[in-house]
Amino acid sequence: MASISLLNPKAEFARAAQALSINISAAKGLQDVMRTNLGPKGTVKMLVSGGGDIKITKDGNVLLHEMQIQHPTASMIARASTAQDDSTGDGTTSTVMLIGELLKQADLYLCEGLHPRIMTEGFEKARDKALEVLEAVKVPVEINKKTLTEVANTSLKTKVHPALANLLTSVCVDAVMTISNEKQLPVDLHMVELMEMQHKTDTDTQLVRGLVMDHGARHPDMPKRLEKAYILTANVSLEYEKAEVNSGFFYKTAVEREAFVRAEREFIDQRVKKVIELKRQVCDGTDKTFVLINQKGIDPMSLDALAKEGILALRRAKRRNMERLALACGGTAMNSFDDLQEEHLGYAGVVYEHVLGENKYTFVEDCKNPMSVTILIKGPNKHTITQIKDAIRDGLRAINNTIADKALVPGAGAFEIRAYNELTKYKDTIKGKARLGVQAFADALLVVPKTLAINSGYDAQETIVKLTEEDRLNPELVGLDLSTGEPMKPVDMGVYDNYIVKKQILNSCSIIASNLLLVDEVMRAGMTSLKG
Amino acid sequence: MAHTREILTFQFGTYANYVGAHFWNQQEANFVYDGQGEVDEQGLPNNDILYREGQNDQNQSTYTPRLLSVDLAGTLAHLPLAGELYGDFIQRKRDELDASGDGVESTKKALEANQLSTSGKVEVREEPPTPMSEYQRDLLMGAVNTLDRDYKLAETCRTWADFLYARYHPRTLNVLHQYTSNPDLQALGTHTAGAELWSSSFEEDFCDRIRLYVEECDGLQGFQLLFDIDDGFSGLATKCLEHLNDEYSRASFVVPLHYPRNLSYAQADTRTSHNIRVVNAVLSYNHLSDYATMFTPLSTLESIWRNNTLKSRHMPGLHWQADNLYQTSAVLGSYLDTISLSYRMRQTPETLLRFCDRVGVAGRKLTAAAFALPLDMLDKQDLIECLDQRGGKPLLTQITPQCEPGTAHVVQSVVARGIPVSRLKRPPEQAGEQLRMAAYNCGSISQMLQLYYQCAYHNSLSNVISTVLPIKTQLPFPYELFDKNVNIDGYKLPGEAQRDAGTRVASAPALGALQSSSRLGEHIDALHAQTHRVQLAKLQSYSQAGLEREEYETALEHLLEFRDNYSDSQYL
Repeated sequence: MASISLLNPKAEFARAAQALSINISAAKGLQDVMRTNLGPKGTVKMLVSGGGDIKITKDGNVLLHEMQIQHPTASMIARASTAQDDSTGDGTTSTVMLIGELLKQADLYLCEGLHPRIMTEGFEKARDKALEVLEAVKVPVEINKKTLTEVANTSLKTKVHPALANLLTSVCVDAVMTISNEKQLPVDLHMVELMEMQHKTDTDTQLVRGLVMDHGARHPDMPKRLEKAYILTANVSLEYEKAEVNSGFFYKTAVEREAFVRAEREFIDQRVKKVIELKRQVCDGTDKTFVLINQKGIDPMSLDALAKEGILALRRAKRRNMERLALACGGTAMNSFDDLQEEHLGYAGVVYEHVLGENKYTFVEDCKNPMSVTILIKGPNKHTITQIKDAIRDGLRAINNTIADKALVPGAGAFEIRAYNELTKYKDTIKGKARLGVQAFADALLVVPKTLAINSGYDAQETIVKLTEEDRLNPELVGLDLSTGEPMKPVDMGVYDNYIVKKQILNSCSIIASNLLLVDEVMRAGMTSLKG
Repeated sequence: MAHTREILTFQFGTYANYVGAHFWNQQEANFVYDGQGEVDEQGLPNNDILYREGQNDQNQSTYTPRLLSVDLAGTLAHLPLAGELYGDFIQRKRDELDASGDGVESTKKALEANQLSTSGKVEVREEPPTPMSEYQRDLLMGAVNTLDRDYKLAETCRTWADFLYARYHPRTLNVLHQYTSNPDLQALGTHTAGAELWSSSFEEDFCDRIRLYVEECDGLQGFQLLFDIDDGFSGLATKCLEHLNDEYSRASFVVPLHYPRNLSYAQADTRTSHNIRVVNAVLSYNHLSDYATMFTPLSTLESIWRNNTLKSRHMPGLHWQADNLYQTSAVLGSYLDTISLSYRMRQTPETLLRFCDRVGVAGRKLTAAAFALPLDMLDKQDLIECLDQRGGKPLLTQITPQCEPGTAHVVQSVVARGIPVSRLKRPPEQAGEQLRMAAYNCGSISQMLQLYYQCAYHNSLSNVISTVLPIKTQLPFPYELFDKNVNIDGYKLPGEAQRDAGTRVASAPALGALQSSSRLGEHIDALHAQTHRVQLAKLQSYSQAGLEREEYETALEHLLEFRDNYSDSQYL
């Protein structure tokens, strides 16, 4: 009997072998769910909720989020996968697969009486060795369009259809290339805005070298399309309302109130006039036009005054767009109109409005030197858009990781095969039972190429034998060609993974797996169960 | 000004959504369409204040509440997250009779045909369809029978979606996917956890939705914010309020709602649960006294802290099960609908700010609510008689827990609804006795009530408005609430008479008031008295959420300072 039950007879507990089997079965279960997702040939999952919501995904992390996991062990693994996503944006499915496989392999030895502690010691040694291998096989790369395209393409092909992946790859690479500069590496991905547009027939995803905003002018007389536009970005209220709230009205007579209202109104009108003056100063006599983008509100009277001058005015812009606007078009975001100069203005070649149902979009394009860009995602329905959006995020992350690492690892399971062979050799140098742990780790690593093979419809054993054989004979890395089932050289085919992703997987998986193995008692004795 | 002065509404938490559902149902029940124009247009509310016009992807126009709602996972039941008006969901096949068929197969086929997103195979994982309530199914088929059919909503209703008549915009619904609702346990327990949630993952998307709503508004005047104060939604709501103040600085009318049940919290026994509830209230009041323009706690319970017996308020002519969410929220929802008429009428365009300032004078931001549904009036009786014969009996029942504003030095806004002008007094030739009363000179309902309050309340300030629209009490309102001696129009039958068996009350007159007096300080005192028993160190869920002792003590001090606003008994 566990000691806890002396203190709390209602506590639920599971000990030693039982506790371990709970953990192992949870890990295996999760692995089973995710297995079919791995790799470019993995299946797409459509999740339908009880209410009829649809979600379509291939991304392990998205899937884990959608499944409400109750099991404590499973949720621990899911958290490791989320952490993987947060820090690298890829490899989430692999994380789950590897943890599951580590436990499964360990289980074989534990059943024969090996102590979990010795197993974990073996895991640690194996991990260190595997990291050494990773260090040895990584390929330092020049940051250029070709390498970035290759890595983004490998990542995206695991999320969406190859045709779409190719399109998204070029969009992502172009986006990052446009905003990257020598000084600041890696780039700030916040400067790539993802804008979605639901459109029945159009399924084109495109890069806009400028900005797309999800709102438009609120006055019927404002121009719908402007060329050669000066852009004034501001955070100044052009609403009469605001003052009322801050001060409250204190007046004795109706006349006094009228005077007060007029004075307040005057105050706002002054601001509008300043904008109009500037517009006249810079635009009159030229073919230039003027756009005002305000983070605060603009009331109908001010809109009216601006419309009469042919100014396109947008209100309530997103806070982050203010920063982006300044980067995309130049100019400065103004907090007051007191000292407006031409140098504060940005410039865009064309600004136009697009209306779709009840939604309006404003495009600011053709900027001089855009340091912020927008990826416009079009899709026939919400779930398609979300799927593409998730994929693009991961693609961007993969590119950014490459820029940060300045190195890549050959993909298509090549690293795992090499690590397996190296670890099998290394095993013989270890004394004592810890070598069993190394062996288990080595076997577990093979789960990635194995699953890739199974998902593509090939025989797992045959593939592994072929690959390990080939790898032993070859100094270069060998991976699996998913279209033929034969070994191939990923370096030649341009299949690359992120270095940081692999590193993170090795680290987190061995730690989580070790922790789970060392658990010898699971108990639940919270306050709620005390209540009885 | 000619343009609409819009208000944006928020609902945080399950009970808030219950109350909200009744509120919006009531709104739509009172829509007057062209061709029904018996009522004077001027006496109607301006629906554009709370509603927005839109267009869905089928180019149909929509008219949906300008609303943002947040709830736990699992509370939407059959509702898809994007609402039902704009597509983007699969109509689930719920029973054999359903002719429309299951959309899952066809969507799957469409996906597989669409080469862009997939590589051939699609694996479908579906949850079993959430059963639709009988009422919703009939609503879908246009076969709701409000007269005879008994849907037993009070017993069968599992969530507010079951009785929601209103339809929401796709922007409206937000779900906390991490927290699944549990009927016996607060999934998101503490204020601090809620506040934490706001800044961790929730803020960005939600603020963007607020911005999109506000961008549409020409003259946004403020916000109505309903939230559950007993759980973590209080933290979420106060954080949101802070954001609204920073970004938009408009008036905000905040309504904290108390659960009519004692739900337990994770890792807490009954005692600790009470303490968590108290700490949640302290922290929320602390923020509300800073950020809200006015706040009015509502509950059908008499007291909320350590109310083990769930002693409920009682309204004459009405009875409800103290712990029934569907029934109690209906009372609170109709109160909100009534009192909010103050700033929604067409002819008296009072601003939300003015409404809040009028009652919440001199920093007394905490106000109390009182309600009478149905208005205690006999059938065939005139208002003048009704008021005359009351004597000292109060018209209204408090629905703010633990406080009685009293009858002296009260500042209040009163809304009377559903009393036709013909029921004010009798014409001179039949007046008889009535002629001798001072109130006989009053020409309107509001005038007469104004006079009544002048006489009944010592040294007080009342502002009364009235409208002819009654509270519509047909389905999905819990019509079973009414006593047997209330007739179909919501008036009391004299003596032992009962309304015909089988008929239901269709509408009822009501009187709602928002009051403030120095005696509201008692409400804060009651809360403060509870804090003596709280040992913060013992509240595990709070220490886990990272509440600092110092923060809590500052909040307590702040609360006492706030209480000082109510100390001067002579102040008006």
